[in-house]
Amino acid sequence: MGEKILMKGAEAIAEAAIKAGAMAFFGYPITPQNETPEYFSRRMPEVGRIFLQAESEVAAINMIYGAACTGTRVFASSSSPGISLMQEGFSYIANSNVPCVVANVMRGGPGLGDIAPAQGDYFQATKGGGHGDYHTIVIAPHTLQEEVDLVLKAFDLAEKYRIMVVLIVDGLLGQMMEPVEFKETVDVTKFKVPEWATVGQGDREDRIIITSLDLAPEGLEKMNLHLQEKYRKIEEQEVMVEEYRMDDAEYAITAFGTMARISKTTIELARSEGIKVGLIRPITVWPFPSKTIENRANQVKFFFDTELNAGQMIEDVKLALNGARPVYFYGKMGGIVPSAEEVLEEFKKHLGGQHE
Amino acid sequence: MSITTEKKIQWCPGCGNFGIYNAFKSVLEKNIDEGRLKKENIVILSGIGCYGYITNYYDINSFHATHGRIPPLATGIKLANPSLSVIAFVGDGDAYAEGMSHTIHAARRNTDIKLIVHDNGVYGLTTGQFTPTSPRGFKGRSTPFGNVENPINPITLMLVARATFVARGFCGDIKHLEYILERAIFHKGFSFVDILQPCVTFNDTYSFYRSRVYKLEDTDYRTDQYEKAILKSLEFDDRIPIGIFYEKEEESFEEAIRGTHNYFYERQVPDISEIVREMI
Repeated sequence: MGEKILMKGAEAIAEAAIKAGAMAFFGYPITPQNETPEYFSRRMPEVGRIFLQAESEVAAINMIYGAACTGTRVFASSSSPGISLMQEGFSYIANSNVPCVVANVMRGGPGLGDIAPAQGDYFQATKGGGHGDYHTIVIAPHTLQEEVDLVLKAFDLAEKYRIMVVLIVDGLLGQMMEPVEFKETVDVTKFKVPEWATVGQGDREDRIIITSLDLAPEGLEKMNLHLQEKYRKIEEQEVMVEEYRMDDAEYAITAFGTMARISKTTIELARSEGIKVGLIRPITVWPFPSKTIENRANQVKFFFDTELNAGQMIEDVKLALNGARPVYFYGKMGGIVPSAEEVLEEFKKHLGGQHE
Repeated sequence: MSITTEKKIQWCPGCGNFGIYNAFKSVLEKNIDEGRLKKENIVILSGIGCYGYITNYYDINSFHATHGRIPPLATGIKLANPSLSVIAFVGDGDAYAEGMSHTIHAARRNTDIKLIVHDNGVYGLTTGQFTPTSPRGFKGRSTPFGNVENPINPITLMLVARATFVARGFCGDIKHLEYILERAIFHKGFSFVDILQPCVTFNDTYSFYRSRVYKLEDTDYRTDQYEKAILKSLEFDDRIPIGIFYEKEEESFEEAIRGTHNYFYERQVPDISEIVREMI
């Protein structure tokens, strides 16, 4: 512990989940995240835990759902088309109030798309994806160290709120290598079975039923109100956001994950030209850091949102600003990742010649 | 007539897909030339895997679609326009993992679609994980200590699901494969062909299969005996039978529900100018 190890992103996330106490992993092969299940397939038997390659993503998410109902720490990973297949499970898990953590290594879409890095699943991740009024907590790391740190945090949040936490990374973070440090290893022998888990009645007086069904509208409304109450609490308490060089910023870039990382370089390039620009980087994209963005509205002249999609998070930025400032956009689709210079060039188009 | 395209074939040298590709190509070219098949009436489909690119390599209208969902997609095509020959290429991942239930339901429904399975016992495109047809003990990228699951027997499975044409081919015997594919294409109803093929990169089974396969057609085996076909299908050890296990002509699903109607030709095409006028 405390030692830096050079690891590939897709393997680092797996080791982080093992160190965080994930007792079981379920998945199905899909590029670009195959290194994650493969790492689990080697390591889980070593630590006496479960690795299972399911017959489909639909099976995998239901294995997660089942294992989560027993109060066990469970983890799954997939990539965009596979995550789409899991959406039914996401919705059921939400209304069953069971905790689990799932990683989506996003690739180019829609449909089969390609296997290059993309952020086109933002809407799916933050606005539902499955049916019904639900949210999952969605975390978007931008470095491998952050990814590793947030895996443990994800399990803690999942169990604190009995909710699914989704880590959205893209193929770039999955495939790159960086030194990472695993700061903590959870002692799984100290795990206690939660009181809500379906683990056999024992000497309990009331039996436990985990369900997402209530045919009586009043009953279902109650379930929904409970979910909404939980979501409001999460929105109040669990927003994670990084503000980078925002103190003296006259312009703000908004970006998450890989695009946030590129934007940091863009900001250095811009500042070397005397353009005072900063970055607001949502770490949780749900709950979204609306207040942070709103608070900077009077400070900056405009916002510049950049994503690896046609413009998805920009909608949340605009909602946060409610028209207070212009929000411009630059995005690339199809798995193309722009350089910091390209982002700067696009950004400068909105300066109106002031800094030409 | 040649049905090749100018696309460069991207499979590894020695890939089992070449045998299947060539066998199907000869069968189609021969039957198009001899007037038994019309090129414009053929639709081919493929799912996900290295083999999936096969739709790029034939000059035929094709549909490269969703992982595992090929049987329902083919069913949709056939029901919309029953005059089409609907031939679907799938992988063992498509047919027996992601879309196993679809394969079973297509078989028992007896829609007139042809399912040709590239069964190499490994996920090649995702670089080497075990599939439902990998043997116990198989060491792949997600089974470093050996596969602990029992493989399925696709031939038995399809017989029990009441497929009306069930066969197994070997991509290393192209002439025999051509014979099977031709029979499968002209069978009325659901045809199922499981083709044993090696993946030269992740699961090279050429010598394994070559030393074990024998042709049912070289024995006194008859293809019209259902119970005996099931017993025969269980043989998969030192000797592996290839050939047609079972064929029987039964009413297809589309015949049962619609007789000779073809909605594709009978549908009313709405007058666009009427719709536009209404909108204005």
